[in-house]
Amino acid sequence: MSTIDGLIRDGAISKIEIELAVGEQPLRLFYGTPGFIDWLNTLLQGAEPKHRLGDTTPAEQVDQLIYAFVSGKPLNYLRQFRFIRAEENAVWELKTPDVRIFGWFLKIDCFVGVFGDWADHVKDHDLYRGYRIAIRRLRRELGVEDNLCVKGTSPSDVISV
Amino acid sequence: MTSFQFDVGSRARKAGRFIGRVRSELLKALSEKKAKDGLTQQALATKLGVHRSLVNRQLSGESNLTLRSLADLAWAMDMELKFELSERPDTFGQNEGTTTSTISHGQIRFINGRSGTGSNGQSAHAPNEPEPRAEQ
Repeated sequence: MSTIDGLIRDGAISKIEIELAVGEQPLRLFYGTPGFIDWLNTLLQGAEPKHRLGDTTPAEQVDQLIYAFVSGKPLNYLRQFRFIRAEENAVWELKTPDVRIFGWFLKIDCFVGVFGDWADHVKDHDLYRGYRIAIRRLRRELGVEDNLCVKGTSPSDVISV
Repeated sequence: MTSFQFDVGSRARKAGRFIGRVRSELLKALSEKKAKDGLTQQALATKLGVHRSLVNRQLSGESNLTLRSLADLAWAMDMELKFELSERPDTFGQNEGTTTSTISHGQIRFINGRSGTGSNGQSAHAPNEPEPRAEQ
């Protein structure tokens, strides 16, 4: 049976850490695949969409999103996260004005990011289905569909605070 | 790699998280107003004389939120704005000082205002400054 520690040991996922404020503790966990971490690095190097909507940079938007997630802040369903399709073992999307992150919840309050992309690119090319199928395939390859994948699609199934 | 530090730098972090917090507060306030008074985004936009899509974009972060527009939104929701700057409370790497005790006496009050110890375990107080003490 796969475990989170086992996935980390095998290099399938890594824990993503961000700086929290004084007095704050991580209340949720955020992981990423190697490909997702490569994409995060492009943000840190200043990657920008063709037409940015947000008044902060994509890197700032993603920092704020991960910070809100990890520090246990309330997240706005639909504006900041939603499932792609109502199905068992759903794929979830985290959102900022310019960025979309696709992944799944290993456990409640425990997300793993697999793909990051520009919001306009995802919408213009209708990439939701493709990302969803690719993530389902990855989960099958990792053998996590049974025990490391939240089944429900209610917001309270995946985020507790 | 067992962990990855996503570090945008302190300046970008301050900006992104501040702007994000302002938007979260606006969304929370609007949600509460909707539950209490039935205030919708459309009603807010009508009161402000703008299109609903502008209010929606401002709340979602897809449109710039100026100080003016922030004040306008607060006015339209009949709410007060608070803004203040303060010194950073303490250094990183330490938890906030406790204000309660696990033993059975009253709430601890810190004398002279400061609390906690430095990250090296030494007192955070100047040598000639009295140590905080518990009052029962």
